Amino acid sequence: MKRIYCDISATTPIDMEVANLMHDLQKTIFGNPSSIHREGQAAKVLIEKARRQIATSLTCNPEEIIFTSSGTEANNMILKGVLKSGDHLITSTYEHPAITEVIPYLKENGIEVSLIAPNNGGLIEPGQVLRNIKKNTRLISIMFVNNELGVINPIEDIASIANNNSILIHSDAVQAFGKIPINLDQIPLDFISISSHKLYGPKGAGALFKRQGTKIAPMIYGGGQESNLRASTENFIGIAGFGLASEIAFSNLKINSKKISSLENLFTSELDKQKINYKINGIKRIPGVFNITFNKLDGQQLVLNLDMCGIGISFGAACASGTTKVPEFLIKLGLTKKEALSSVRISFGKIHSEKDVITVAKEIGKIINKNEEK
Amino acid sequence: MSDKVLVAMSGGVDSSVALLKVIEAGYDAIGVTMKLWEYKDVGGNIIDDSNCCSVSSINNAKLVCDRLNIPHYTLDFTENFRENVVENFASEYLNGRTPNPCVRCNSFVKWDTFIKEAKKLNAKYIATGHYARIIKSNNSYVLKKGFDKNKDQSYVLWGIPKETLQKTILPLGELTKKEVRKIANINNFETANIPESMEICFVADNNYKRFLKDYKPNEMSKVGKGNIIDQGGDIIGEHSGYTNYTVGQRKGLNLSKEKPHYVTKIDSNKNNIFVGEKVALLDDSCKVSNVNWLVKDINFPCNIESQIRYNSKVISSKIIIRKGEYEVHFSEPQLAITPGQSIVFYKEDIVLGGGIIEKIIKS
Repeated sequence: MKRIYCDISATTPIDMEVANLMHDLQKTIFGNPSSIHREGQAAKVLIEKARRQIATSLTCNPEEIIFTSSGTEANNMILKGVLKSGDHLITSTYEHPAITEVIPYLKENGIEVSLIAPNNGGLIEPGQVLRNIKKNTRLISIMFVNNELGVINPIEDIASIANNNSILIHSDAVQAFGKIPINLDQIPLDFISISSHKLYGPKGAGALFKRQGTKIAPMIYGGGQESNLRASTENFIGIAGFGLASEIAFSNLKINSKKISSLENLFTSELDKQKINYKINGIKRIPGVFNITFNKLDGQQLVLNLDMCGIGISFGAACASGTTKVPEFLIKLGLTKKEALSSVRISFGKIHSEKDVITVAKEIGKIINKNEEK
Repeated sequence: MSDKVLVAMSGGVDSSVALLKVIEAGYDAIGVTMKLWEYKDVGGNIIDDSNCCSVSSINNAKLVCDRLNIPHYTLDFTENFRENVVENFASEYLNGRTPNPCVRCNSFVKWDTFIKEAKKLNAKYIATGHYARIIKSNNSYVLKKGFDKNKDQSYVLWGIPKETLQKTILPLGELTKKEVRKIANINNFETANIPESMEICFVADNNYKRFLKDYKPNEMSKVGKGNIIDQGGDIIGEHSGYTNYTVGQRKGLNLSKEKPHYVTKIDSNKNNIFVGEKVALLDDSCKVSNVNWLVKDINFPCNIESQIRYNSKVISSKIIIRKGEYEVHFSEPQLAITPGQSIVFYKEDIVLGGGIIEKIIKS
C-alpha cells in the first residue's frame, strides 16, 4: 500500500539531497572537529559551513548559532540557562512540552511563572504579555508558530514589548523555521530554538540562536565546543544535513509556501464538494498545517481508520507511549470536550501532490459516511 | 477481504501468542494496547517495571505487532479505568472489603471498551490472551474453562456482558501456558520470556497499603489504630488500621494466644477487627450482589458449583433467591468467605455467571 504521510508538523521525511550528502560524508569524514589535524579540520569545516547556511536563512551572524541535539534541548538551555531564583518568566499555556514541562523544575528553583492563554483565534495577544510584566520579569518565551494549530503569533510585537521593557525574549521557532520567513535582522528576538527534522533534515540536530551580547549558562559542561555553551563532540554529519536542509528550505520558501497553500485550498474544496461538515481551528496560520474538527466523528477513530488505509495524520500531541488524550489546547480555545475529541491535525508539505490531498479528502469522506451508516 | 479482529495486547507473552493465532486463523488483525493508568496517579514507581501499561510493555506489544506486520495502537482509557476500577478498589478497602480489580476491569472497562473500539475500526471481533474458551452450541455462545487447569482464567471473566461472547475470540483456550511460551520462543517474540505478572497492574510495587496512602491520603489519614475483638466480644488487642487486614488473615495480629487466630470480620464503621480460631472462619452461605449471567434460562433454586476465590476448588452449591437477593448455600462450610471477592458459578466447565460476595450469612 502506498502511504500518504500528512503529519509533517510531527516530523518530515528526509530530503533526498540531504540524505545523499550525509551518506557520502558518513563514509569519508570522521575526524574529531576539535582535533588539530586535517581529519579534524575536515569535520570542523562541515559544522562551520552549516552554521553559515542557517545564519543566512535567519539573517543573523553565524556566531549567533549554537548547535544542539534538538529543539527541546535548545528550549531547555534557554529556560535553565537564563533564569535564576527570584526571576519571573512569562510564557503561554500552549507551548510545546519542551517549555511547559520545564516549568515545574523552574518553580522548584525559585522562579516565578505567568502563563498566558491564547485568544479564541489561537493567538497570544501582545497586550496580555504587557499586562503580565512585573518588576522581576527576566524572560518572555512565546512560540512563533503553534505546533497543533499552525497559528502564527505576533512575535514582532511581543519582541518589541520585551525590548522596551528590557526583558529578554525567546521564541520556540521549531514549527516556523523553513515554513515562513524569520528575519532576525528585523525581529528583535534575543533567542530562538529551531530543529532540523521539521524541515526535511535529519533527526538529532537542532540549534539555538543567541543574539550577540546576551548571556546564558551552559547545561552540558565538557570540552568547550559551541563557544563553551554546549560541550560534546559535535554530531557534524547531522549538523551538515541540517545546514543543507535549511538552505534548501530557505531558497524554496516562496515556491513551497504557494504550492502548499494551494494544496490546502484544494483539500478544503474537496471536503466541501462532499458536503462534509468541518471547522478549522485558529486564524492566521502557516500554509498546510491545520487543526480541523469533523463534528460527527471522534478524532482518534479517524486517525486510526485513516492509518489503516495508508494515510498518516495526528490527533493531539503524541506522547512517548503513543497514546492520546483530550487535547487541552483546544479546550482552552473554547471548544467543547466533544469538539476537541473530534479534532485532528493534518499537515501538508512540499512532498504532497494534488492527487495526494484529493485522496486524503476522499478517504475522510468514506470514513465519515461509513460511521454514519452504523 | 477477511474479517478484522482487534487483539488486546498487554505486552505480555499470552496476548502476543493470541495475536499470532488470530493471524494464523486467517483474520486481519489490529493490535491495541489499552493504557489504563499512570504512575503519576497511582504512585509506586519501580525502576524495573515490566507491568501492563508501562511504556516498556506498550513497546513490547509494538515490537511483536511489527514482527507480524500488523498495525498497533495505544488507546488511552485512564479516565474510565480510574472511575470504574481504581476508585472502587480504594473504596472497597476503605469499606473493609477485599476487592478484585481484574474482574472489575474485565466487566466494566475492557470488554465494553474493546467492543466499542472494534466497531469504530470496522472490526467484527475482539480477541484476548485469556486462558478460557468460548464455544458455540445451539446458536448460543458459552464461556468455558481453559484446557490448562493451572492457568484457567474463566474465574476473572464472569462479569463480561453476555452479548459480547459472540464477538470474542479466546485463541489460547486450548493451549497450556507451557505451549504458549514455546510458541512465543519459536517465533522469537520479544515477550517470550517475560515473567508472569501476579500483582495488580496499577499497584506495580505490589504494596496496596502504600497505594491506598498515596491515592486516598485524606481518608487514609483517618484510618487509625483500633480494637481487635474475639468471638466472645472481648477486646484482646490493638490493630494498626483496618485497611491493613483481610478476612482469613493470620499474620500481623500480634496476639498472645495459644491457638492461631484469624480475621473473621472487618467493621470499617467502628474500626474494629474481629478474630477467632480457624473454626470461626467457616461459613456455609453468603449473599451475592452484582450477579451477571452468561447463560439463559436459569431457574431457582438451582444446583451449581461455585468458586469463591481465584485458583480455589469448586464447591457444590445451591443458589436461591430470597427477598430479591441471591443467596449461595455451600454443601459444606467454607473457610474465609471474603466480602468483595468474586464468586463464580459453574456447571462442569461452563461458566454460568458470577457475582460479588456481599455478606456472609451467619447461621
